Amino acid sequence: SRDFAVGFNFHSHPNSADVISTVEFSQSGEFLATGDKGGRVVIFQREPQGEYNVYSTFQSHDPEFDYLKSLEIEEKINKIRWLPQLHSALFLLTTNDKTIKLWKVSERDKQPEGYNLKDEEGRVKDISKITSLQVPVLRPMDLLVEASPRRVFSNAHAYHINSISINSDCETYLSADDLRINLWNLSITDRSFNIVDLKPDNMEDLTEVITVAEFHPHHCHLLAFSSSTGTTRLCDMRSRALCDQHAKLFEEAVDPASRSFFSELISSVSDVKFSHSGRYLLTRDYLSAKVWDLNMEKKPVETYQVHDYLRSKLCTLYESDCIFDKFECAWNGTDSVIMTGAYNNFFRMFDRASRRDVTLEASREVCKRRAVLRPRRVCIGRKRRESDICVDSLDFRKKVLHTAWHPTDNIIAIAARNNLYIFQDRHSPSGHHGMNVNELDIF
Amino acid sequence: MEYKVEAHRIMSISLGKIYNSRVQRGGIKLHKNLLVSLVLRSARQVYLSDYYAGVCLNAQHIEAKEWELMDADREKLIPASERHVGAEDGRASRLQEKDGDSLDPSDVAVTSPVSPAISETQCGSSDCETDADAAVTEGDSRQPPKDHACSHRKRSAEETGVSETPVKRTKVTPNAIVANNEIEEGEEMDTSNVSNLITIFGSGFSGLLSKDSAKSESETDDSDSGSGQICCEQMLKNLNPWTTAIVAF
Repeated sequence: SRDFAVGFNFHSHPNSADVISTVEFSQSGEFLATGDKGGRVVIFQREPQGEYNVYSTFQSHDPEFDYLKSLEIEEKINKIRWLPQLHSALFLLTTNDKTIKLWKVSERDKQPEGYNLKDEEGRVKDISKITSLQVPVLRPMDLLVEASPRRVFSNAHAYHINSISINSDCETYLSADDLRINLWNLSITDRSFNIVDLKPDNMEDLTEVITVAEFHPHHCHLLAFSSSTGTTRLCDMRSRALCDQHAKLFEEAVDPASRSFFSELISSVSDVKFSHSGRYLLTRDYLSAKVWDLNMEKKPVETYQVHDYLRSKLCTLYESDCIFDKFECAWNGTDSVIMTGAYNNFFRMFDRASRRDVTLEASREVCKRRAVLRPRRVCIGRKRRESDICVDSLDFRKKVLHTAWHPTDNIIAIAARNNLYIFQDRHSPSGHHGMNVNELDIF
Repeated sequence: MEYKVEAHRIMSISLGKIYNSRVQRGGIKLHKNLLVSLVLRSARQVYLSDYYAGVCLNAQHIEAKEWELMDADREKLIPASERHVGAEDGRASRLQEKDGDSLDPSDVAVTSPVSPAISETQCGSSDCETDADAAVTEGDSRQPPKDHACSHRKRSAEETGVSETPVKRTKVTPNAIVANNEIEEGEEMDTSNVSNLITIFGSGFSGLLSKDSAKSESETDDSDSGSGQICCEQMLKNLNPWTTAIVAF
């Protein structure tokens, strides 16, 4: 019988002190970018054999200090988004809390030699010593991958930027902070259009903030944004310039019997992802992941409990700040499986058709090169088998917040603190048949 | 009883988080602070709704206009003597009668449905302490209630208090603002209400703990304030050290 089989590839971020804060595959899947708390971006490239190796590393953002407000601006990379690759150079957007940058990453494998006015080291030659002229020629050199910031989009956000999303038109993109969403043209840095504004006239009346925003994958006029109140709105930019009025509002009524001090808190949506097809929305709140049909606003079509065993521990999690952890979620290439992270370096996958799910662990102890991941299980009571782990033994410092799935293949990238794990499905790497999740214990 | 302690604990924890957010790198995180303030509000409603719904014998008449803790104009509380098991409806209407225009309808919504759920009352010195604690937390109580209802009220209080009550905003009255020079003003990152919340709670808790603390502003009789003070001190000593931490600012 077949277990869930994966190959394994592992990287540790350059500075071991720096926690990975975002992971994103390029649109073709050939490249994978990670950003970290130290403002650094690392780009991996997929080798012909299938492994991902470091392609480029650069410092995207530096810490800044806003003297006017006596405010330090963190250099942590909140999000990275790739532009479609048109030619040899790569373009990606990176953002911290305040500033978005468009980076160009290009290869150089030739360099000019034979300058007239300067020598090999670049020192200016003594003109009087030059007796003849030569034409500089391009000679091969070791491959050099250079990253340069082509655009800097700044001063448009009074609050912390949480999302960027490139429009399907590839000319515009949105950036969202706690209260506002702005629309940019990739070529224009000195102005942006505000398309959503949730700021109340009186800040004392504040009831919700924007948590995530994303453009529809195909319809350039549609965008979705979710809020701290657990709602997700779909906005149509054609109907009005300011999209405060939503075209659709996706919200599920909360069961009053399950109310607690933390009900509102755990309903806050931490991630929103359109399916590749554009027909569904995937939202993640603290305890669950929900799939919504864009045509049905009243309730999700599917709800997946990620770690419902935490429901009785919310107070402790509140104290430790874990309840504020923002887990991301992801679709596979065919929209048949969704994935999201949890604690103890666990991450979970849910097969939508069969309703089977699996819990896997990303950790160095468990993973060796080419090893097969064994499903894990969290138990509330007694352990029934060796691989089980009790709820009380979970390590809440180990959290898988950032996960990414290759756009077409069964390759996933899991960030656990400062480590990046890349898993491939050995049996069906091309992803045509979806993930094989046989013999799973439904938890 | 435990839920009251838990509510108080959650309130203390929440205040600590709000305070810490001010010194965090990267500035105040609006999202997190909003969520914390929601939890704070929920805990406070549970904590105080029990107080209002409590069956207490008290000769003093205290009026409560609003539930807003941050309101610097200290209001008088509902007289405990008016809260009796058999008189819930009467109380509800009395709530409306007194300063009806200034009472939030939500206040009534919270208290009146709670009372029918009361089937019996408990009275004991421990209750006295926690109610005194609630009273002083409100900032202006003179009388620690002597009675309050038993714990099953928590669920009903929560259901009504949390689900029905509209947003209890962290209102800030100008004269409550103590020290916010370090808060950014204007359009950019308007988080002054968060800091004011801290200062107001801070003064409330310090009033709680200092022996020579003032009763809140004027307009009060001091009759049982002393015992209330002692009660809540005893109570607070057993509670989360955060309360003392907050007072330190």
